Amino acid sequence: MATLEQSPGEAKLPIDRKDLIQKFAALAGLVLLIVAFSLTSSAFLTMSNGVTIALQTSTIAYIGLGATCVIITSGIDLSVGSVLALAGVVAALAVQVGVPVPFAMLIGILAGGACGAVNGLIITRMKLPPFIATLGMMMVARGLALQITGARPVSGLGESFGALGNGSLWRVITEGDNGFPKVIFPGIPYPVILMIVLAVIVAVVLRKTTFGRHLYAIGSNEEAARLSGVKVNKVKIGAYVLSGLLAGLCGCVLMSRLVTGQPNEGIAYELDAIAAAVIGGTSLAGGVGSISGTIIGAFIIGILRNGLNMNGVSSFIQMIIIGLVIISTVWIDQLRNRK
Amino acid sequence: MTVTSQSNTRPTAALDGRESILSAKGVVKRFPGVLALDNVHLDLYRGEVHALCGENGAGKSTLMKVITGLYQPDEGQVVYKGEQRHFSTIQDAQDVGITIIHQELNLVPHLTVAENIYLGREPKKGWFVDKKKMEADAQVYLDRLKVNIKASDLVLSLTVARQQMVEIAKALSLNAEVLIMDEPTSSLTESEIDRLFEIIHELKSQGVGIIYISHRLDELKRIVDRVTIMRDGGYVWTKDFGDVTVDDIVAAMVGRSLEEKFPERQSSPSEDVIFEVKGLCREKLCSNVSFTLRRGEILGFAGLMGAGRTEAARAIFGADPKTAGEVILGGKTLSIAAPVDAIEQGIAYLSEDRKLNGLAVKMTIKENVTMANLAAVSSHGFIDDAREARAAREMVAKLSVKTPSINQVAKNLSGGNQQKVVIGKWLFRDSKVLFFDEPTRGIDVGAKFAIYQLLDKLASEGIGVVLITSELPEILGMTDRVVVFHEGEVMGILETAKTNQEEIMQYASGVKRMAL
Repeated sequence: MATLEQSPGEAKLPIDRKDLIQKFAALAGLVLLIVAFSLTSSAFLTMSNGVTIALQTSTIAYIGLGATCVIITSGIDLSVGSVLALAGVVAALAVQVGVPVPFAMLIGILAGGACGAVNGLIITRMKLPPFIATLGMMMVARGLALQITGARPVSGLGESFGALGNGSLWRVITEGDNGFPKVIFPGIPYPVILMIVLAVIVAVVLRKTTFGRHLYAIGSNEEAARLSGVKVNKVKIGAYVLSGLLAGLCGCVLMSRLVTGQPNEGIAYELDAIAAAVIGGTSLAGGVGSISGTIIGAFIIGILRNGLNMNGVSSFIQMIIIGLVIISTVWIDQLRNRK
Repeated sequence: MTVTSQSNTRPTAALDGRESILSAKGVVKRFPGVLALDNVHLDLYRGEVHALCGENGAGKSTLMKVITGLYQPDEGQVVYKGEQRHFSTIQDAQDVGITIIHQELNLVPHLTVAENIYLGREPKKGWFVDKKKMEADAQVYLDRLKVNIKASDLVLSLTVARQQMVEIAKALSLNAEVLIMDEPTSSLTESEIDRLFEIIHELKSQGVGIIYISHRLDELKRIVDRVTIMRDGGYVWTKDFGDVTVDDIVAAMVGRSLEEKFPERQSSPSEDVIFEVKGLCREKLCSNVSFTLRRGEILGFAGLMGAGRTEAARAIFGADPKTAGEVILGGKTLSIAAPVDAIEQGIAYLSEDRKLNGLAVKMTIKENVTMANLAAVSSHGFIDDAREARAAREMVAKLSVKTPSINQVAKNLSGGNQQKVVIGKWLFRDSKVLFFDEPTRGIDVGAKFAIYQLLDKLASEGIGVVLITSELPEILGMTDRVVVFHEGEVMGILETAKTNQEEIMQYASGVKRMAL
């Protein structure tokens, strides 16, 4: 086609290829980490440790998915750490009063969604900056969680409450020679399966649906989106509700793993979620971001923690290292974009 | 670089005994895959206004960046006051007397005018900023421009035109010996332009050399001494302005002769009214705006900056609230509360600031084209990639958007092509009435012509076209009738063929008023 010829001065990479380079760089970093830890610790590259890492990463990933959607609209959700605690204790309290476990967890997840809806309404109707609205919600939700539990863990929930967090699919156990059970294959934990399913769903939502496209449009240029007929407020509220629902689910999974409702769970988790999204190439300025990147980002954090633990690095040093990783990945990203 | 020893091979005093203050000689600048500047020359005398003309992408801005030290040349040299210079930052260039006023404003909105003018070089009293002295000094420069701006005003409280004047005051305060002005008049009113030109004459007589970049060729004759033309990164010629005509300049810029600035109209208005607005009011900004639009007609909105043209269009479109008024499309009165409602009825508004509110610059051409009508390429909320790509490709071909791919990110396109993408967005929506707000601002001559042709084509297809523009030649060249605004009111609706610039200006300035 004659009109598709390249004119000088406009010879720049289309975003797809740039995106690929970014993802490749993050993926290469991930592989490098795995290689490095395999060499320094013999227990790192084992099946059971792999499962442990995936399990630990899954919680960052749930809220990371929500954070990605919100950050793409150039917003931010600081409340997820508290919201997940509130959702988890709501589910636990529901079980205590006799609600069957699946319904109790649904109530918990919906509580998270409700927090997200309030965030969205404050941001769109009261026109407060997302930072302020969700900072407020962070305190309100944490306070609620502590108040309704009297700041005490909710226990005595029964084994079925722990099934979601502790169960696995395809777990293969045989009886060993000594009569003790022997784990042939540790199985895939339900939280990991949930993570994969949710990541695929959210990725499809972002890439293939009009809702997803509108998230990018709002983040790229909100006024242009509004003048194009995008229902900006509805879409934004949708993003925060999604983030709240995922936080709610994350809370249920975490509490299920502990088989206890912990009102103090999830402190500072929102920072992990934001870090995962940012390491994965999501721009805080909005309009840019992908789920594959966020999942890679979540695994980078998860593997760093796990590998450093195995090498006996103290948790304080771990914080320093992860902090530096966040700074340097975003720096590299900006260097690349500046060209 | 390799050329240090050659700096004195040519005498600095040039033709006519006039002294050259700044010259760029044989400048070559390469970017990966692109030769941005190819052996370009520019010679500026003291006390001269030197116009630099060329289409967008001709390399004017790149050359200015080489001169002010933002880019280092790959070959060639910049000679300032007889010495070869290498500036590593704009600050370096500014310190020796070279100042640039950018097309985009570089002001900090939350600081005062004085704080902006002295940003980074605040007068001090001990450890503290001497606010009194700063404001008094700033006021002197503002008063020289005869603009009614107080040095203590916050920049965000000023209109764009006034902010432009602050930029100019800032340049004056730097005591520049070389002043580069990039499209300084694009947002100024006639009287502000007059005042700016007086200042330019004053600076000239003080020996300041001025490089003047503008797309408004007709205003050059009022100030310019010589003109240099660039095309596609190359140097075309430098001539005395008195020896050339505007047509010569345009021909040299585009590399072909443009017979006329405007295409011959193919469309002609019929009798049936397709769109009507009655008694539109908007708090403080518009009152009782009424007009009709006929099939095949291009209707102009004329008026000075802030006369209420954009404000009326935005209220019709639902982008801003209206307090009263009826909007009638095809005989049906519409209720429009938000842009969504207008868009669903087939009314579209192309905003005057593309980057601010027309285009999602981080998104691709494809995504921008389908943004207002995603439903047409999706089913059950899922976007059909193949259908979307086909739609975008068709639109790119129809509007002749120059791009390697529909997946090109919008910010990498030239201004003209960006505008075409925005138009494509609304054509894909099957709009019935389109409001074009300053569609050719900041676009080069060749691309303007393409936009004009497109407006005409849309009108001939039966789409109602409203052209809001500050360029009177555009009104006269393209419209059938013109609605003239003054302070939020319609002063008159004129047949374009029977009017002229002077009459339109009389209505626009409130001197004349028609009984409507």
